[in-house]
Amino acid sequence: MTAQEAAAGAMGVPRGRGDTLLRAVEEQERARERRARWGIVAGRVAVGVGFLLAWELASGRLVDQFFVSRPSAILGALWTMLVEENLLYHLRFTITEALAGYIIGASAGLLLGFALARVDLVFRIVEPFVVAFYGIPRIALAPLFILWFGLGITSKIAVATVMVFFIVLINTIAGIRAAPLPLLQVARVMGASEWDLQRKVIFPAATPFIIAALQITVPQAMIGAIVGEFISSNRGVGHLISREAGLLDTPGLFAGIFSLLAVVLLMNQGITFLGNYLMRWSPRRGITRDVV
Amino acid sequence: MSPSQPIIEAREVFKVFTAQGNRHDRRAFLALHDVNLAVDAGRFVALVGPSGCGKSTFLNMIAGLVRPTEGIVRYKGAPVEGVNTDAGYITQDDNLFPWRTLQENVEVALEFRGVPATGRRAEAGKYIAMVGLGGFEHHFPHELSGGMRKRAALIRTLIYEPDVVLMDEPFGPLDAQTRVILQDELLKLWEGSGKSILFVTHDLVEAIALADEIVMFSRAPGTIKRRYTVPISRPRDVFRIHAHPAFGDFYDQVWRDLKEEIIEVALEVRER
Ligand SMILES: Nc1ncnc2c1ncn2[C@@H]1O[C@H](COP(=O)(O)OP(=O)(O)OP(=O)(O)O)[C@@H](O)[C@H]1O
Ligand SMILES: [Mg+2]
Repeated sequence: MTAQEAAAGAMGVPRGRGDTLLRAVEEQERARERRARWGIVAGRVAVGVGFLLAWELASGRLVDQFFVSRPSAILGALWTMLVEENLLYHLRFTITEALAGYIIGASAGLLLGFALARVDLVFRIVEPFVVAFYGIPRIALAPLFILWFGLGITSKIAVATVMVFFIVLINTIAGIRAAPLPLLQVARVMGASEWDLQRKVIFPAATPFIIAALQITVPQAMIGAIVGEFISSNRGVGHLISREAGLLDTPGLFAGIFSLLAVVLLMNQGITFLGNYLMRWSPRRGITRDVV
Repeated sequence: MSPSQPIIEAREVFKVFTAQGNRHDRRAFLALHDVNLAVDAGRFVALVGPSGCGKSTFLNMIAGLVRPTEGIVRYKGAPVEGVNTDAGYITQDDNLFPWRTLQENVEVALEFRGVPATGRRAEAGKYIAMVGLGGFEHHFPHELSGGMRKRAALIRTLIYEPDVVLMDEPFGPLDAQTRVILQDELLKLWEGSGKSILFVTHDLVEAIALADEIVMFSRAPGTIKRRYTVPISRPRDVFRIHAHPAFGDFYDQVWRDLKEEIIEVALEVRER
């Protein structure tokens, strides 16, 4: 590099070859991202199709079809359920229960977490109680909730809520307590109020923990709703599944499970979007490709 | 505040720490011992002393993050009670918020102070340009170099124009060239601003190049051992500070005193 080139570079003036290289890398990067996106889609389709195909072929040959059914039969059962048994009606109940429980449990966990974790003394007093409640097999509370809240939708929402609440609470508290002290101090000296601290320092510092909890609890909420429906209900997918099981109708049973799977995947995708947005500052996301 | 009154004043300040580590060994530790210091407004004061002598603790007290166990620290005449949001504090680690872009990091103090978004943006843009960070506004801290992060930490504090800026080894982890460049930028930003700066450093050349006055702490428990007036006029050329005729003798004198303390620390370690 000549002195002239060095000076031009230092002042940020694009140099001929470097500039070309810049454009080329940008283009490469865009192409790579496009390829990666399609590659991921194709990969997923391949894995899904491969799995279903293997299942279809194994069923009736390697394993008794009575126990594992087969994808084609399940698809048929799904269709029957959809048109004859009002699957969408039942799904609507289950989704409402799971979603309501999820939202209530997660919001309560977040709010209480923020209330408890900021004052060390308060946290140290309540910690064993939180852990003790968390330690209860929460599913075992389902019959109790049905006793309290009746056979309707409320008792299922309550079960879903406790499934979500403690996990979000404990993670939120852990996240808040992991907020780096120097950042808090620096913010305070710069004039941050307690509200500023909570919103602009503690919350972002705790997001990795909170997002993890929100992801883990999506299926938990679903489990809560379904278990509630198993125990006593005349509607909802849980009710549908337990009826199919009672009739020894394996394809119907799997059809119910698959419809739940779809819902959980969809909810999870929503949380993933939220997480990617809230964590866009994290060096771990996307940049790792430069690290090899 | 009357003009003759010091902007920062420490009187008979003592600090005792207890470690949180071992519950069965809660030995208390004396970090500062009878510290007395007055700093006049507009002065650039360097604090030097052996590692662990309580320099950071002393800055923390002025920032209101640590309370003296005994004695009093006054800021603009009033005792420091609670966080001192009037001062600026630049720590050794840049402590930028990893979830904020450069621009958002520079703006944050104004945001805390309720300055509306448009005013904030304009002000931040001005400071970002001043230290040559234009074009990096939307980079997150992990996408900046060490020197860039330091510049960001510097201007995000200067942006709210604190009358006192506390700096704790701000250029410590930088390479020698970037260091001198940043020292030069700091002096340019400070000269004529009327701000007081308390600048902790282990580098005597840095202390001499920047400060009006050097305050030397003794080894722990830290107390003020000596004060020196730097015999070099302003404006200064930090790139060629060694070449100043008064530099050599003054450096030797300060270094002799500091060496005494450092050797004592080494001997104490060996005796243990
Ligand atoms: N929060 C704390 N709890 C207990 N001890 C502490 C605490 N902060 C500092 N100390 C102790 O006080 C002494 C002085 O620490 P301080 O950080 O002020 O030193 P320093 O002069 O800044 O050193 P260095 O030059 O290495 O940064 C050290 O012995 C340290 O262990
Ligand atoms: Mg220190």
